[in-house]
Amino acid sequence: MRTKSVPLLGGALLVSLSLALTACGSGSGGGSKDASGSSGSYDKNATIGIGSLYEPQNLDNTGGGGQGVTEALNGNVYEGLFRLTDTGKVENLLAKDYKVGPDGLTYTFTLRKGVKFHSGKTLTSADVKYSIEKVMAEDSQSARKSSFDVVKSIATPDADTVEVTLSAKSISFVYNLSYIWIINADAKNLKTSEDGTGPYRLDKWTRGSALSLARFPGYWGTPATNQKVVFHYYKDATALNNALITNAVDVVTSEQSPDALDQFENNPNYKVNDGNSTTKLLLAFNDRVKPFNDVKVRKAVTSAIDNKKLLQSVWGDHGTLIGSMVPPTDPWYEDLTKVNPYDVALAKKELAEAGYAKGFGFTLDTPNYDPHPTAATFIKSELAKVGIDVKINIITPDEWYTKVYKNHDFSATLQEHVNDRDIVWYGNPDFYWGYDNKQVTAWVKQAEESDTTERQTALLKKVNTKIAEDAASDWLYLYPQIVVAGSKLSGYPLNGLNSQFYAYGIKKG
Amino acid sequence: MSGASEAREVRVGAAGRAPSRRRRSPALVTGCVLVGFVVLVALVSLVWLPYAPDDTTGTRLAAPGGAHPLGTDKLGRDLLTQLMTGAWIALRAGLGATALGGVLGVCAGLAAGFATRWLDDTLSTLLDVLIAFPTLLLAMLMVAARSASLGSAVLAIGLAMTAVVARLTRVLVKRVLAQDYITAARTSGTSWPRIVTGHVLPNIWPTLVVNLALQFGLAVMAEASLSFLGLGAPPPNASWGRMLQEAQATVFTAPTGVIAPGVLLVMLVVGVNLVADGLRDTLDPTRRRTR
Repeated sequence: MRTKSVPLLGGALLVSLSLALTACGSGSGGGSKDASGSSGSYDKNATIGIGSLYEPQNLDNTGGGGQGVTEALNGNVYEGLFRLTDTGKVENLLAKDYKVGPDGLTYTFTLRKGVKFHSGKTLTSADVKYSIEKVMAEDSQSARKSSFDVVKSIATPDADTVEVTLSAKSISFVYNLSYIWIINADAKNLKTSEDGTGPYRLDKWTRGSALSLARFPGYWGTPATNQKVVFHYYKDATALNNALITNAVDVVTSEQSPDALDQFENNPNYKVNDGNSTTKLLLAFNDRVKPFNDVKVRKAVTSAIDNKKLLQSVWGDHGTLIGSMVPPTDPWYEDLTKVNPYDVALAKKELAEAGYAKGFGFTLDTPNYDPHPTAATFIKSELAKVGIDVKINIITPDEWYTKVYKNHDFSATLQEHVNDRDIVWYGNPDFYWGYDNKQVTAWVKQAEESDTTERQTALLKKVNTKIAEDAASDWLYLYPQIVVAGSKLSGYPLNGLNSQFYAYGIKKG
Repeated sequence: MSGASEAREVRVGAAGRAPSRRRRSPALVTGCVLVGFVVLVALVSLVWLPYAPDDTTGTRLAAPGGAHPLGTDKLGRDLLTQLMTGAWIALRAGLGATALGGVLGVCAGLAAGFATRWLDDTLSTLLDVLIAFPTLLLAMLMVAARSASLGSAVLAIGLAMTAVVARLTRVLVKRVLAQDYITAARTSGTSWPRIVTGHVLPNIWPTLVVNLALQFGLAVMAEASLSFLGLGAPPPNASWGRMLQEAQATVFTAPTGVIAPGVLLVMLVVGVNLVADGLRDTLDPTRRRTR
């Protein structure tokens, strides 16, 4: 009887090493002068390659397309009545001007003349009405949907005029309109095609790899300074950086790891730009449930975690500590990092006062992608020093959405919050973190209904201070926004506010 | 019909080749050294570690040397400490999955081997379906149902392994059952349990052991892959797969973070494969005869 011969040494074991050892090409060819900032000579017919990690799921911003839709299409393919500039200012775009009625509830917008959609149709007020209603619709998945709850009615007295009546005053209304894409009311198949008024039209979308935009010849405003823009999508940061090194792309929208920066910082062919980000990493407590319904416990946990060391671990020398929900680019920013300072002795004292002298245990629901697992590991180690035992529960983004965001079934969680001006969520007791302070809710409402930005700013500063004092969440740090580009490139956005990436001013020369 | 005589001849031959002719296989020795090293590291980690596993007092990405022989990771944790705890996790995953897959697989294989045609067909189809099911997909389902943990990973790997072991066992059992001496045993009234313990298992265990050793290596790799994807042992457990994943972004600035777990993973898997190779040489008489 012959025993079966067993094949030995399968090739599977080499996987572990090969994943990291990707070969690198050399930098770009020499001879480039430092062209950054100089708008002298550039190639008007250039194709700009943009490297990104965020491929859209579809092309509809009310259909759950993800942040990739905003990055590629906002301002490039679609335009709003207003534009939020890279520095956070709101400018007129498709709206030539607007008037607010004496009651502060009626907004009359006059549309710019001669604006054409990519399909050739002329922009009318009906398209604007359709576009706003599309975001407000029942099935809309837009993150901004609830901002438009105040809209009572939209009228279109003539083709160039839109009248919006609100049910309550809303000082952010014009700002919020900058998120609404004006879409041709007759357009179909918006998940795979487009019909906007922007400086580019969609050229081709190759799912899983690239999305290209081409200059729209009939654009109403200043034409784009390049002929074509191609967003190349990568699955991980290492591949993205390799693409930049091998000149497969000209610019990377936002670097996700500080350790790859060395290769660009010491290379004259590249420029590393430190911009302002609005993305905050939060340790969000469920303020409804024990023990986090006790302010003392939340303050203790906040004081027990060395945010500076965490930031240093994840981002090296980049990024900022904020101490509250407001980034420095928001008008109501104040430095509140001292409110709950890193102080282990203080944390122990506060825990004892709250009746947890011996500590307690809780489960930390942690999204499975970076930097959450790293932050969770660090938090576990920090809180162990004050007797708090953290159980890390790794979950997928889908699970997070259902378990934490919708069902509020959690003790504490980690999450990135991308948008600017999102402190207003602390005025909503039904939001996932369940912070419920009547005074704060009233302040947020009053701020929204203020007549002047000064009053709005003053009220939101009060909110900011109050939530910091209550340690409503632990705002671990503000991300850096690092854009790396070839040194021949200029005119690209540096701040990537709300993950926008305006490409129409990029010059290659 | 020379099956019975050949089998008997082999068994006699194996017994007759007593100590004097037993040669140590070089593969077995090398394999034992490699595996032994990892086992030793894992055992030491149970009683002594250079630092506490969650000690983040080190500087970020410190270079190897001095207080941290292998350097530190992004959070300032000692890499040697993580590597040592990772060895224990890798061994636990390998042993756990192999034990699960081995016991379930051999039982299922024996059942299929002895079963009536109808039951055998059903079981074989089931096993084929299970084999066709990718381990990773199975693991994702497990994780979705039970949340990510070493237990879920081991369960998924063990179940996937069950199918492979069961199919092999079934074939081996069928082959033994076709022999004349089984027919002889049955006609002489030997009970089925006695046939299993007296005839079937002694004839199939060498092949099974070699196969299980190979499966152990694959299980270690599978656990590392799952942890790399975030489906294995959750942080802060220092699985080698997760260490590789965490060090991925810093491969150019702090290569030790990738090299150290990578090398140990390769050592363990190559080690068990060599052991399997050596065991086959030692246990399989037909192969030994050809040497």
